[in-house]
Amino acid sequence: MMIERKKLAETVGESNLYDDEATLEAYSRDMSFANPTRPRFVVKPHTATEVKELVKLARETNTPLVPVSSGAPHFRGDTVPSTGGAVVVDLSEMKKIVFVDRARRVAMVEPGVTFGELIPVAREEGIRLNMPLLPRSTKSVVGSMLEREPVVMPSYQWDVSDPLACLEVVFGTGDDFRTGQAAGPGTVEEQWAVGGRQKAPYGPHVAAWHRLVQGAQGTMGIVTWASLRCELLPQVQEAFLVGSARLGPLLEMARWLIRLRLVNECFVLSGLDLAAVSAQARPGHLQRLRSALPAWTLFYVVAGYEYFPEERVAVNIKDISALGQRLGLEPVPALGGISARELMKTVQQPSGEPYWKLRYKGGCEDVLFLAPFDRLEVLTELVARLALEDGLTVGEYGVYIQPTVQGTSCHCEFNFFYDPDDAQDVLRVKRLVAAAVRSLLDAGAFFSRPYGEAAGIVMNRDAASLDILRRLKKIFDPAAVMNPGKLCF
Amino acid sequence: MALEEYAGDMSMCCRCSACKFVPLQQVKGFKHANVCPSISRYNFHFYSGGGRLNLGYAGLKNGFQYVPRYLDVLYNCQLCGACDVSCKYGMDMEVLRPIQEMRIKAVEDGHPHPALETVVSRMRATGSMVPVAGRKRGDWAEGLGLRNALEEKVEILYHVGCLTSFDPERQKVARATARVLDRAGVSFGVLGEAETCCGGRAYEMGHQADFLAQAAKSKELVEKTGVKTLVTSCATCYQVYKVLYDRFGLKDELEVLHITQLLERLLGEGRLKPSRGQEITVTYHDPCHLGRLGEPWIHWQGKKIPGDRFVFDPPKPYRRGTHGVYEPPRRVLAALPGVRLVEMDRIKEYAWCGGSCGGVIDSNPEFAEWTAAERLAEATCTGAEAIVTASPWSEKLFAQVLAKNGGDLAVYDIVELVDQAV
Amino acid sequence: MALDKEIYAAFAGVVGEENICDDPALMPAYFFTDFAAVVLPKSTAEVQAVVRLCNQFRLQFRPICTGWTGFFRPGTVLLDLRRMDQIVEINEKNMYAVVEPYVTSAQLQAELFKRGLCTNLKGAGAQCSAMLRGHGHLDQSMGADDRNHLAVEWVTPDGELVRLGSLGSVGEWFSGDGPGPSLRSLISSVVPPSCTPGVFTKVAMKLYHWPGPTRYSLTGYSPRYLLAEKPPNMMARYYSFPTLDQMWQAEIKIGEAEIALELMGFNVAMVAANITTSNEEDEAMFKRLSQEVQGPGFFVIIAGNSPDDFAYKKKVLETIIAENEGMSLKSVEDPEIEGILLTQCTRISASVRETFRPGGNFKSIPIMGQRDLTIRWAVGAGQAKLPLIEQGLIADDGGGFFGWGVEHGHLGKTEIFCKFSPLNPEARKAVDAWAEQQSNRALEEKYFALTMGPPEQIDSKVGPALSNYHLWWYKVLATLDPNEVIPDKGVSKLHP
Ligand code: SF4
Ligand code: SF4
Repeated sequence: MMIERKKLAETVGESNLYDDEATLEAYSRDMSFANPTRPRFVVKPHTATEVKELVKLARETNTPLVPVSSGAPHFRGDTVPSTGGAVVVDLSEMKKIVFVDRARRVAMVEPGVTFGELIPVAREEGIRLNMPLLPRSTKSVVGSMLEREPVVMPSYQWDVSDPLACLEVVFGTGDDFRTGQAAGPGTVEEQWAVGGRQKAPYGPHVAAWHRLVQGAQGTMGIVTWASLRCELLPQVQEAFLVGSARLGPLLEMARWLIRLRLVNECFVLSGLDLAAVSAQARPGHLQRLRSALPAWTLFYVVAGYEYFPEERVAVNIKDISALGQRLGLEPVPALGGISARELMKTVQQPSGEPYWKLRYKGGCEDVLFLAPFDRLEVLTELVARLALEDGLTVGEYGVYIQPTVQGTSCHCEFNFFYDPDDAQDVLRVKRLVAAAVRSLLDAGAFFSRPYGEAAGIVMNRDAASLDILRRLKKIFDPAAVMNPGKLCF
Repeated sequence: MALEEYAGDMSMCCRCSACKFVPLQQVKGFKHANVCPSISRYNFHFYSGGGRLNLGYAGLKNGFQYVPRYLDVLYNCQLCGACDVSCKYGMDMEVLRPIQEMRIKAVEDGHPHPALETVVSRMRATGSMVPVAGRKRGDWAEGLGLRNALEEKVEILYHVGCLTSFDPERQKVARATARVLDRAGVSFGVLGEAETCCGGRAYEMGHQADFLAQAAKSKELVEKTGVKTLVTSCATCYQVYKVLYDRFGLKDELEVLHITQLLERLLGEGRLKPSRGQEITVTYHDPCHLGRLGEPWIHWQGKKIPGDRFVFDPPKPYRRGTHGVYEPPRRVLAALPGVRLVEMDRIKEYAWCGGSCGGVIDSNPEFAEWTAAERLAEATCTGAEAIVTASPWSEKLFAQVLAKNGGDLAVYDIVELVDQAV
Repeated sequence: MALDKEIYAAFAGVVGEENICDDPALMPAYFFTDFAAVVLPKSTAEVQAVVRLCNQFRLQFRPICTGWTGFFRPGTVLLDLRRMDQIVEINEKNMYAVVEPYVTSAQLQAELFKRGLCTNLKGAGAQCSAMLRGHGHLDQSMGADDRNHLAVEWVTPDGELVRLGSLGSVGEWFSGDGPGPSLRSLISSVVPPSCTPGVFTKVAMKLYHWPGPTRYSLTGYSPRYLLAEKPPNMMARYYSFPTLDQMWQAEIKIGEAEIALELMGFNVAMVAANITTSNEEDEAMFKRLSQEVQGPGFFVIIAGNSPDDFAYKKKVLETIIAENEGMSLKSVEDPEIEGILLTQCTRISASVRETFRPGGNFKSIPIMGQRDLTIRWAVGAGQAKLPLIEQGLIADDGGGFFGWGVEHGHLGKTEIFCKFSPLNPEARKAVDAWAEQQSNRALEEKYFALTMGPPEQIDSKVGPALSNYHLWWYKVLATLDPNEVIPDKGVSKLHP
């Protein structure tokens, strides 16, 4: 069975229903190596009611739904249908910024709202988002949070689910549900009336429901809005770079900076990634930058808020310099032609065009995982060996290390850049990615957000958890219509 | 007071579990956080202070069922009072008192512990807590030429106690005590063969009537000497004369001193001048009866004020372990040349019991030894060469356990060290 | 309610005779409940085996860590996890500690202090399990709730072993989420006495930097330990404000400025309780402090990583207090009292003084979430206490409530309780009625809803008001617990 076109048109309106060749073709693939599969339709709902109706229809007719909230280009294969006959539910038209509340440091947005759209509105109120590193300009804020993307200010990430606060979801059953404080009593509007702002993520009761939806790649339901905790806009900020030929000392420094809550933005980039992030769209600029950069660079920002901001910054800088001395590292305002201040401005916005991961070669495939601080040197060396075996030197791929959850682990991301028009190059990266995933897994890398082909290998390593997830899937999406085939279910 | 009078206290138990641990401020690490030997050994909640109160409260309400497990719980308690101190860090309620009363009630209800009953009947027959085995009480003093307080007027009566008198291994402490007092020129005497048991251990075993009968004998004897001050080198005897007799109105004006208190006084007055001594690092074990249980009795009578709170008219002063004898032994040790004191994690009012309280050495020697072994392990952690104590009971048990389990630790009674130094 | 011989033998076969008791005469020791049996497993494998037996014999079970007040149904098998008492790992580099259920917060914290680290301690006290979800004095800078958990080892209601996150994939504890959706979604209730879906046998707790000493140096004897010397770069104060709004403004500014190690919205009754060693002293101190304060207030500890950091934090604190016309309580500036509070409120060693000491019992309404919202509700709930105080049914705390910002004010916790004597049935009735009225008001006026109520109420009122979460929860539980060995469908109540 299949949802009838007529029913879809009735639900979202003819003008929001697409089945033309070009659209279907566009939604059939992304920048990843996922097998292209054309959806049957693409719909762009505008309201939660429409989404609910779509899920009901899908359930009745056993039609797979593939939710998409960000605009192209997509990189992880999670928005490419795994089976034929799917309907892509593109939420990018759900663009309401429901509220931004300075006093409670929280905002609520629909899934179509991008970083580029929310940042200025939040800034206007005096708050800002804890963002992933340079999301592409079309990236949905809600989408990013649902993917548990790491954020660049680890000190403010108390829990891995941050900055996600509450959300509204239409489960695969067609029922809608609100998590945390938003669950009730009353509607969100009724809660607003007494001063409630949906921020507390707990519950209701002994479950933390948002955690079930997060990381599910749309397999449990479709989120129709989410709220997120925001941070204050600093009054004074100073940015620093610390270069080193070795990763270890930089990680040690990062660890302490976070432990002592001395910094906001804080991450480590390899030379190539730093060059790619900082490069302007001038020919040769990226290469020139890269050649002047050390193997690894730690970046951090020291900030001051409402009270004596300069003093806070000065005190923290002094404490940091003591730390740097202890570790034999020297923070500097500029390194190899890159100004820390410029970099700070860059990472406080979405990526400029072209998207930073495409700047070097036009294509990029990531291998990303979590690992403890003290494991990263080993893991990066392991990948370096693998790459070299395939003729790729260390400087030819990028590495991004993002301490997460207040320094309890690191997100590590290898960015394998490739030229999409060079079949050899594509093949090699494919090979390398597959080999890297396998070796990294065995060496203790935790693929908490497995995408694409890796998902199967990763999920099957933990049979007990997978078993429970499958049981949950049956509850929340009994007809298995929500983005089927993505996570072993 | 009977158990009924502690119904209110028992109802106050909030099951916070604080009575299982040293006062929380004093938790110094993963190790040595426990304070109750009984629950530490047997793990079920009913072996803890709080669990015992719950059983007592339920028993008062629904009747006591003297099933084997209940009796096992009842008699596998050191009555060391550690739970009482830890609870009273936060609460206003009695813990050790009702636990003791539960035991007394069991005996009265016809459920004494057989092994303890044997000990008590021995006391009844011989006036001694330990086997007499054909020896005489005053044998230890042979050749020392001590004065008999019943025959000569002395200022201070040295009460030796059953274990120190009869145990050949402990008699050295009595002799050392006598030597030291002699050197300090103290006017003291002993009771020799006439000395009799203070009765206190029978009380802890639940045999209140026997205790009272024995106490009357002892009191009469002490009175006969006419001394104003009694000193003893036994922590248990100290607690009995000082606290228990006071509680039952048997103490009158008698000044009761533990030998460490007297030594501290003599050192302070310059009557004892320690000059020699071995270089030794020691740790000090606070005997329960000298420490927290040695806190003076407070006479109080009052009524609960009706209403929301567990408060009394007049206000009820609690014995919380604050005023035990903690510093005198430490000051004595500090005065000995060459002796360096290192403290264990659990000391003073929250010291871990040495294992020989509450009749457990007789009713369940395995538990007694286990408790002592825990203490010795803690002592070993300090790096000390010796563990010093001020109770013959713990000294004996420590030595026994070390002999059995091995270990390099030496065991001393504090008087022995003083004796070597002066 | 002893077990059948055959069943008893099966349990004893797992834990050993000495670690099971089903003698009805002993059961009152545990929560005055007629448990079917109490068993003391030593390891995860034993927990699994015991849980499987519960499934086989269709016996409902509940686990406890160190235990606390609670309501348990007769006939339940109690898993007392006392013998699972090891600190599995303290990972300084990655800031977590892995503990078994019977490691107390006091033990873990003492070990962490030695390493310049700390953990969030629950307000119930340092004698409670270090692995619990909950709230406490250090929430301001050390998070709270399930948000401090990383990987968890979990025996499900049907006895399967699930190792969450990185533990299941790579055998390490640094992350509890994934691959894919997080199963932490189901186990955020590491908070007995509410019913938990299974047993948590090991939990990795997030750690925080500790700027204080490796050990407080104390003098004195119980119950009055004094700080021998104040640690450098630390300070404790109590501030009161003319109005609740000014207090709230100051609280949120302190949160935003990220300067407080601890911000504890004590009312003065709680300060008095903390620093006194008996009820009588407490009462006198409460009177004294009540006269010293100008209105509602809070207790703050600031601590610097360096002298400069401390000086900065102090300056900001004083500025914020001045802006909001706050006044420092002179009594707390007394170094002796400051020292007591500093140690007490970081080691959480006297919670029973605040709660149980006066009457022997208390009933509480704890709410986590949006602080400004819950404060507004709590004002009314506090006023509703006044008649009970007047009638002498509950202890006089001036109608106070308390609470604090969590994660530097991002989230919050508010709590209000009545302290009463368990011997007074009239008091219990009045307190129960107060609690019911006030939680109903919270629900009706759309502030929040308590999900720890009686199951009937969850089905009829609370669940439907909260997105029908209960229906989803029942489905989840049904799949985890096919033999219904979790009592009350996993929605137990705190009090009978
Ligand atoms: S006896 Fe005291 S310390 Fe023990 S549980 Fe009861 S109230 Fe707590
Ligand atoms: S008296 Fe000692 S052994 Fe007995 S319950 Fe109390 S602490 Fe435990």
